[in-house]
Amino acid sequence: MDPKGGLCANNCRRSSSLTAPGNGLQTNLSSDPPSFYGIGIESHFNEFDPPSPPIQSVLPGQSDTDIEIPDQENCPLSDSSNTSKLQDWNPSAMLNNLSFLEEKIHQLRDLVHLIVNKKCQPIGQPHELVTQEQQLITADLTSIIVQLISTAGSLLPSVRHTLTNTNPLVSQIDQLHGINLPFGPEPSSGIRPQNNSANKLFDKSTQNDLPNTCEMEQNYNMEEHEPKDEEDVDEGENLPPGSYEILQLEKEEILAPHTHFCTICGKGFKRDANLRMHMRGHGDEYKTPAALAKPHKETGSEPKLIKRYSCPYSGCKRNKDHKKFQPLKTILCVKNHYKRTHCDKSYTCSRCNTKKFSVMADLKTHEKHCGKDKWLCSCGTTFSRKDKLFGHIALFQGHTPAIPLDDTKGVTELPDPQNREISNKVGSVNFCFGSKPSSENLVPNMMDMKGNIDDPMNYFSSLNFEGCNFGAFNEFPQTPFEDAEGSFSFLMSGSFKFGGGESSSGNLQ
Amino acid sequence: MLSESVLCLLTEDLFIRVLEKLGPDRKPWRLVCKEFLRVESATRKSIRILRIEFLVGLLKKFCNIETLDLSLCPRIEDGVVSVLLSQGSASWTRGLRRLVLSRATGLGHVGLEILIRACPMLEAVDVSHCWGYGDREAAALSCAARLRELNMDKCLGVTDIGLAKIAVGCGKLEKLSLKWCLEISDLGIDLLCKKCLDLKFLDVSYLKVTSESLRSIASLSRLEVFVMVGCSLVDDVGLRFLEKGCPLLKAIDVSRCDCVSSSGLISLISGHGDLEQLDAGNCLSELSAPLVKCLENLKQLRIIRIDGVRVSDFILQTIGTNCKSLVELGLSKCIGVTNKGIMQLVSGCCNLKILDLTCCRFISDAAITTIADSCPDLVCLKLESCDMVTENCIYQLGLNCLLLEELDLTDCSGVDDIALRYLSRCSKLVRLKLGLCTNISDIGLAHIACNCPNMTELDLYRCVRIGDDGLAALTSGCKRLRKLNLSYCNRITDRGMEYISHLDELSDLELRGLSNITSIGIRAVAISCQRLADLDLKHCEKIDDSGFWTLAFYSQNLRQINMSYCAVSDMVLCFLMGNLKRLQDSKLVFLSKVTVTGLEVALRACCGRIKKVKLQRSLRFLLSSEMLETLHARGCKIRWD
Repeated sequence: MDPKGGLCANNCRRSSSLTAPGNGLQTNLSSDPPSFYGIGIESHFNEFDPPSPPIQSVLPGQSDTDIEIPDQENCPLSDSSNTSKLQDWNPSAMLNNLSFLEEKIHQLRDLVHLIVNKKCQPIGQPHELVTQEQQLITADLTSIIVQLISTAGSLLPSVRHTLTNTNPLVSQIDQLHGINLPFGPEPSSGIRPQNNSANKLFDKSTQNDLPNTCEMEQNYNMEEHEPKDEEDVDEGENLPPGSYEILQLEKEEILAPHTHFCTICGKGFKRDANLRMHMRGHGDEYKTPAALAKPHKETGSEPKLIKRYSCPYSGCKRNKDHKKFQPLKTILCVKNHYKRTHCDKSYTCSRCNTKKFSVMADLKTHEKHCGKDKWLCSCGTTFSRKDKLFGHIALFQGHTPAIPLDDTKGVTELPDPQNREISNKVGSVNFCFGSKPSSENLVPNMMDMKGNIDDPMNYFSSLNFEGCNFGAFNEFPQTPFEDAEGSFSFLMSGSFKFGGGESSSGNLQ
Repeated sequence: MLSESVLCLLTEDLFIRVLEKLGPDRKPWRLVCKEFLRVESATRKSIRILRIEFLVGLLKKFCNIETLDLSLCPRIEDGVVSVLLSQGSASWTRGLRRLVLSRATGLGHVGLEILIRACPMLEAVDVSHCWGYGDREAAALSCAARLRELNMDKCLGVTDIGLAKIAVGCGKLEKLSLKWCLEISDLGIDLLCKKCLDLKFLDVSYLKVTSESLRSIASLSRLEVFVMVGCSLVDDVGLRFLEKGCPLLKAIDVSRCDCVSSSGLISLISGHGDLEQLDAGNCLSELSAPLVKCLENLKQLRIIRIDGVRVSDFILQTIGTNCKSLVELGLSKCIGVTNKGIMQLVSGCCNLKILDLTCCRFISDAAITTIADSCPDLVCLKLESCDMVTENCIYQLGLNCLLLEELDLTDCSGVDDIALRYLSRCSKLVRLKLGLCTNISDIGLAHIACNCPNMTELDLYRCVRIGDDGLAALTSGCKRLRKLNLSYCNRITDRGMEYISHLDELSDLELRGLSNITSIGIRAVAISCQRLADLDLKHCEKIDDSGFWTLAFYSQNLRQINMSYCAVSDMVLCFLMGNLKRLQDSKLVFLSKVTVTGLEVALRACCGRIKKVKLQRSLRFLLSSEMLETLHARGCKIRWD
């Protein structure tokens, strides 16, 4: 089987059969979804990482065979020849691919035109016919989109092999399911055509009565209590390009306090549920259970493409034009990311008055722990845990832990700070070098005494200790503290010459 | 006059040569000769200050020192440091490489930092036993960027933070001892091992570190000596980390590590076949067969200590036949040491220099004789409590082990005067312990005294037959005695004390329970033994005030005194405590003549410098709390008995 030929024929048939219902084609489409594009897409995904949106990138592609989309179940699963060819690309093959893409885009545009025209027509046709046509159109549309995505995705040779290593096959198949799901039994429902050039979403659905606004799509799934770390969680998601659609909100939309607006009176709400409650006041038609129910609950069972978001700030890694684009998972992630990264930090912690945040939730989290960061590095960084501080110190040259000024931990009973204090209080740190303290009564007497050392008891009488009532010793508690023991006095009076043959040079060994 | 003229002819380098020959007796030379004083001032490299009063003058005189030892000056304080550095040019700090501040508890972080910063060449600092030191002092130490050696034993307040400071500040550290720095944990050790990659010696004894620390330590590629005594949280897992790491490890000490077993040691040994020193005392109950097998591979082993382990003849034989280069063997308190085992051991290890057989009670003459025959290089032999030892084996020791310097015969009741006569042939004896050898008398002591002039340490605890005549012989023969224990030798009287006063170098003297000596004897000792630093007079009840007064007046170098149960009065106690400027430790229990007030005043008189005092428990609430607080604040520890 010549893959390319088959593919082209297939495409021609589909585009030509837009007006006339072709049963055979439809059954074919719906009967073999799991394997329909499976092999081709899978092999691409094995080889390429998806850093940027498919259509806009003008990146090298690869040979024709890579866009083959075998529509037979018995096609060999491991087509190694394909994958090996992917490794080396040639410009001519890329050109082929690009022209293929161009052709597809044209087809897509025609289709969209067709849809727009049909919607403008008055509802005069028999209802059944309209439904059938819509089903056909959407089926075709979907197939084209999938081809587009797969081809465009294969144009990106940037990160080879990584996907093979990191992403298990299972998850890829899951993703493929996401793509293939539109081919399920109800192809008409929930298929979302994509206008990639504008990155805005058309909400093409069977519910024609709903207003077809971008707002609705963007606000969908907005919940305030999303985990705020989500932005980081999806860091290693590694979704292949094209396996998701990329939405980009504008700055004003991101920063708008309200995201849900009443179409009638214009009042804004933070939550869709509140809006729905509000809508009840505008008439009975908004009071039906269907209108009050969560909108995406209704379509919950419907298959749809995974949505990812792009930051509107150009140059940001989260912006779809960035070389290593990493999409954001939810709208809340977009909001938090944008505020944290591209906005002023207007919330200041009231406790420390230093830390600033742009997201209120971050401030609240910080305030919970503020003041508990007792582990301080010399660079000023604080840590709530000692091991984190030590990890930091081990990492950075020259950083040391800082010792807080009022550090009494573990040394309270040790003499260090207190000691000095008490010593001063006691007055034994005696700074008067000039003259010997007057209360130094023992030593001078000792000197006088040299003559009559043979009779120690004489000495005592000369000291007048006997006259001293020990009971009254409390009277002179200061005396011993202020004697020659003063820390410095010995430095000056370094000449205690005792009878025992002491001399200054005898004091070293 | 003649001598002076001769000296004038000598050139400076000849003076230096002469000085080198003089050894420790330089003092009289520099006192009488200006030239010698000048030359010594210029060339002296190390100085140990005994009395802080002279610190300034000495530092001015000896300005080229490389080592300054202030370990005997606990009174040194921050203010002293600033005075020292502000006076003159303070040129002595320029070349200082080694600073010993052990027990200098008075110094705070401010003074320490000023001192450290003033010494740009500082390479080694010892702040061991400065128990008040914490992270701030560690931070001050970390200012010495060239530091290679640091001893922080028992700096109780130092935590991981302080260690981190040092690890970052002193990246060139090669030798670090953290013994008893109880606050330090795995985190600190881990950081140390990441920052100080040049470490060759590391002591983490008694720290509460786990095997995780050993994982970090294993990454130290230059570590040669690792000491982890009493690390009871470290187990075999930790030793297995060491098996793969520390390629240069030469010595390891795992003694008292309760959780270490034979299998851990096996893995350690299998990773380090060139181990030279293994200390595994008191951590194993017995050596398993595989471990013994492993020991066979340690051909380089020089020192092994397995105190307290159950051994067998086979184990000793294995060690003897395989560890040919063994120099030191410690079998203290080992169970199962027999004559046969020892004989098999020493027949292989003929290079043994140190053998510790403390409390190996089944050892008898046969084993000691074999030791004497096989190990002519023996320097130290410890036979405490080996009751079966008699003069026969001592005879062999005296015949063959002429290099013997240290012998412990404590509690060997078989040793008598004849044994001492044989022993006196070992003329190089330096330390001899004869405590509880009740059969020796003055005659035996005289033999030792006549033939062992190098003796510096002699223990005659409870040798009740020793009397004044023995001391007469001893003091005429062993002039270099520094430590002498005469406790409970009740025959000794004041005449004996008179002989003791002839020992110029005596520094430690225990006279516990000598009921016949009085103030007259003590006075002779106090006046003559100027180096006396440690004196124990417990239960010397006949010494009265006049004796203590002479001590207070003359023994200015006294650092420790035990006066418990002595008849000292309020006044003399007060005078003694106030006048002994170097006194750091005094035991004052049951002083019957001293009142509470007198004791209070005495303690006040010395509270600036006393570091340790032992008092009666009953006085705890009678002494004023203000005074106790002051003592505490000045770094004094009170032990209540």
